[in-house]
Amino acid sequence: MKAVFRASAPVLVVALAACGSDPAPEPTEQIVVREPGADSDSSADGAAPEPAGEATDGLIAAGKSAFNTCIACHVIDKGGANRIGPNLHGIIGQAAASVDGFKYSDAMASSGITWTKEELDSYLSNPAAKVPGTTMMAGAITDAGRREAIIAYIEDASAN
Amino acid sequence: MVTLNVNGQVKELDVDPATPILWVVRENLKMTGTKFGCGVALCGACTVHLDGKPVRSCSTPVSEADGKAITTIEGLAEEDGTFSKIQQAWVDQQVAQCGYCQSGQIMSATALLKNNPNPSDEQIDAAMAGNICRCGTYVRIRKAIKTAAGASSETQEA
Amino acid sequence: MADKQISETAPKKGKWTRRAFIGAGVVAGGALLVGVAVRPDNPVERLSPMVAKGKGEQLINAWVKIDADNIVTAIIPHVEMGQGIFTSLAQMLADELDADWSKVRILEAPADAKYVSHDIGREFLAPNLEVPAILEPTVGGTFLQLATAMNLQITGGSFSVRGTGQRAMRVAGAAAKEMLIAAAAEEWDVPAGELRAENSMILHDKSSKSAPFADFAAAAADQGLPNKPKLKSPKDYKLMGKAMARHDIPDKSNGTALFGIDADLPGMKYAAVRAAPVVGATVESMNVDSAKAMPGVLQILNMGDFIAVVADGYWQAEQALGTIDAKYSKTEGDKLNQDALFARYASVLDEAGDDGGDVETEQGDVTDAFANAATKVEAEYKVPFLAHATMEPMNCTAWVRDGKCDVWSGHQAPLMARKAAADTLGIDTDDVTYHNAYLGGGFGRRSENDVIIMATRIAKAVPYPVKMIWSREEDTMQDHYRPSATSRFQAGLDKDGKAVSWSNIHTHLFDPQEAPTVPYYNIANHKIRKIDVPTHLRFGPWRSVDHSQHGYFIESFVDELAHAAGKDGYAYRRELLAGSARHLAVLDKAAEMSGWDTPMPEGHGRGIAFVPSFGTIVAEVAEVDMTGAKPKVKKIYVAADPGFAVNPDGFAAQMESSIAYGLTATLYGEISVKDGAVQQSNFHDYPILRINEMPEVEVGIINGDHKRLGGAGEPGLPPLAPAVTNAIFAATGKRVRELPLSKANFA
Repeated sequence: MKAVFRASAPVLVVALAACGSDPAPEPTEQIVVREPGADSDSSADGAAPEPAGEATDGLIAAGKSAFNTCIACHVIDKGGANRIGPNLHGIIGQAAASVDGFKYSDAMASSGITWTKEELDSYLSNPAAKVPGTTMMAGAITDAGRREAIIAYIEDASAN
Repeated sequence: MVTLNVNGQVKELDVDPATPILWVVRENLKMTGTKFGCGVALCGACTVHLDGKPVRSCSTPVSEADGKAITTIEGLAEEDGTFSKIQQAWVDQQVAQCGYCQSGQIMSATALLKNNPNPSDEQIDAAMAGNICRCGTYVRIRKAIKTAAGASSETQEA
Repeated sequence: MADKQISETAPKKGKWTRRAFIGAGVVAGGALLVGVAVRPDNPVERLSPMVAKGKGEQLINAWVKIDADNIVTAIIPHVEMGQGIFTSLAQMLADELDADWSKVRILEAPADAKYVSHDIGREFLAPNLEVPAILEPTVGGTFLQLATAMNLQITGGSFSVRGTGQRAMRVAGAAAKEMLIAAAAEEWDVPAGELRAENSMILHDKSSKSAPFADFAAAAADQGLPNKPKLKSPKDYKLMGKAMARHDIPDKSNGTALFGIDADLPGMKYAAVRAAPVVGATVESMNVDSAKAMPGVLQILNMGDFIAVVADGYWQAEQALGTIDAKYSKTEGDKLNQDALFARYASVLDEAGDDGGDVETEQGDVTDAFANAATKVEAEYKVPFLAHATMEPMNCTAWVRDGKCDVWSGHQAPLMARKAAADTLGIDTDDVTYHNAYLGGGFGRRSENDVIIMATRIAKAVPYPVKMIWSREEDTMQDHYRPSATSRFQAGLDKDGKAVSWSNIHTHLFDPQEAPTVPYYNIANHKIRKIDVPTHLRFGPWRSVDHSQHGYFIESFVDELAHAAGKDGYAYRRELLAGSARHLAVLDKAAEMSGWDTPMPEGHGRGIAFVPSFGTIVAEVAEVDMTGAKPKVKKIYVAADPGFAVNPDGFAAQMESSIAYGLTATLYGEISVKDGAVQQSNFHDYPILRINEMPEVEVGIINGDHKRLGGAGEPGLPPLAPAVTNAIFAATGKRVRELPLSKANFA
């Protein structure tokens, strides 16, 4: 027997065929949340998941995974070559625009920022607002938990 | 409501401000030249310009574009359809194969030449390394950027 | 099995055209249509109802159409996935027709059974078939029917130019020209022999009369059909052999080219999907509490083998899908791990011993020759699973309503896609309209139907058109992979180093059948066997298919034989190819281009490899710099003989492309399995070659036999990996027996 779940109204119940030798399997569960055009139920607004408050190892692992967003442009291994973005090894605590051999935007070069964790967090939340004119392409990370994890990973990877 | 300036046209849209620019441009504005490749800024297929600077639109929320000018591949040619120097170089060097990544390639190359009208081979490789092409059109991308750079410098000298 | 025949299954053009059946007719607007049937009846007659039922542009069974404005339209029964096939095939047709290239338009053939790719069907179904000339037409007809039954309107096997181009496009172009000339001869009352065609005009030089093709289009259709249209000889080619600009490039440079993912329909919704990570498992339960509450979400579907979230926008669907925790059923596949898989290959090969497995080809007595050899060489090579990673992730849009279905996608075999949708819904194929778009990369991946079936199933469950897009993660983890494989060799050399025996046993054989064989090398005794080792992972054709691994296996081992014989890799291959002038010319050209005999700097090496495949002979020389932490491939020299390069620039582009695709696999391509699931997910752990790693490429083309055309899209790939690993050996003395190179330690 296939189940049809009711969610927020309005609900469209779609008739489901019984299991059989149909050409291709139909849904075993079909949850109709709403019909097209109907308003979303805003009262059930899902709260954003809490930032991972678990052990540091978990945070670093989450950060390593989240750092995948960055690796097209940044390496973090010691001595690794700059790519589209500078090598981020040991970036925490350094002055902005201080990685050797990387051609920074004028905006970054004159920003006067020192990359504390707080400054990095602020920058990652909205790079273009923090440093108007930055050439960093991979936009803002709006999820505070992801930023925290990424910064934890950068710190950890820099220690190696 | 989000107010966007895309290729010089101002649009008001009722979208979640966290939506990446990519999906707003493709689905709400029906401009499909900007492509989805990886969703995490690894491949560059979704590259657009925000105030003239290349960004990965799959990972940049539309709220970032508030008060800024978005340029997509559809906005590079002149109004009568005449290709930009880079686009023309892409045709002259017969760059595209499957073509899927090329909007992003052209947007990155356009930004490169804006900042650096005569890039060296190393600078081209560094600036374009964020854009993956699975058909391997890289040899021709290098040539096309050099062609376009040559065309630009001639114009400047003239 | 006489191996020489295997490598010579090229189209027998003369025999076929003699039996070609040409049909012609007129459609609305006075357009002339010319088609070429590949079995004995007139296609246009059968198609006239279809042609007559609409207005203006029609789905027509013909390869060429000339309309009242003198526009020549070439109708191409293949799909464009970057290989430039629309342009190359149109060149072949327009050249025979003497059409004005600037007035040639190109149209992709509709997904209709009349356009089946006869040649590819034949190649795939019976590649080794040697047919007596007199039976050829019958066999062709039989294979067309089989191909139709199997719904092949395939683009693959590097077959479009050498099959469809040679056998249909050129014939149709030449026939149309003869019919136009015949009509003009009647109209002007002059002998046909005094007329000629040029730039879409018919010319009578004596009277200086000229008129456009269009003036004779209607009358041409009433002319008798030429039985044997005269094809041009190469000296008369005007378009073939020229680097014509590809017609699709402007649209691919301004964002207007439409791919499957760009389909747009009124009221369309978007589906994000997540399949059970282990193929064969099902979704036992899913927690949708968060997803239900997320903005834009319309439906959440447990489809058994996958979960789908349908929403107003794709990003909303994807975000909601990301919040769903699911439990999956346990399967046998859960036990599979990559190391264990290679161990299983090893034990299966061990058990096979000297006589087990399926013999693919055998000649002479390898056991005896090996036992008596002066030098014995043995080696084992391994390659991993590989994903296709097309830049356009898998996607399909479907709309099911009123017992009918429309499907939009980019597929290498539109007819198969159409049938898959019909079978999924249990309706007639005539009730499915399939709309094909540009393919954002194919490489074999888009010949599978899984995506079409999934989208159709979702569409059946919802009352609106729905576009299903796979995330990059799904695309990587749910591919139909190039098999991982192990291959073992034994060879015996005589006292002069000459190879006298060649034995090989390897896991898996998919296609083409000749991939593991070396009929072009003079080795008196050989025996080649395979053993299939099934796993729950799905295999599929991956650019150059089995040649991708066997090219590496074979050419690595040949290099090992050269080393054992104390000879240079190039010189050794010259001996093995002795007497085969066309093969030697290619090998020699690659060596000459690379300056083979000139010294390399310390820590640098040069390697050569030679693989004929898909009718094209290719030799490549790689230059590799081993002075850094990782191998750096500096330059690749490619010499290739495709018989005749219809579009030399397009051919060179395909060589460059194959090198990039092959180098990705050589340097880092690896899909691995843990607890039955694929471990890689996106470009960070399945990296693709980037521009800063792209070597320089120099391509030299030899037009070795204009009657026997080879493919372009695949043959450049197989020699790449061994050319690189042989260069690494030359530089370091380290033999690479497992790919990718990222697993090797060169420190």
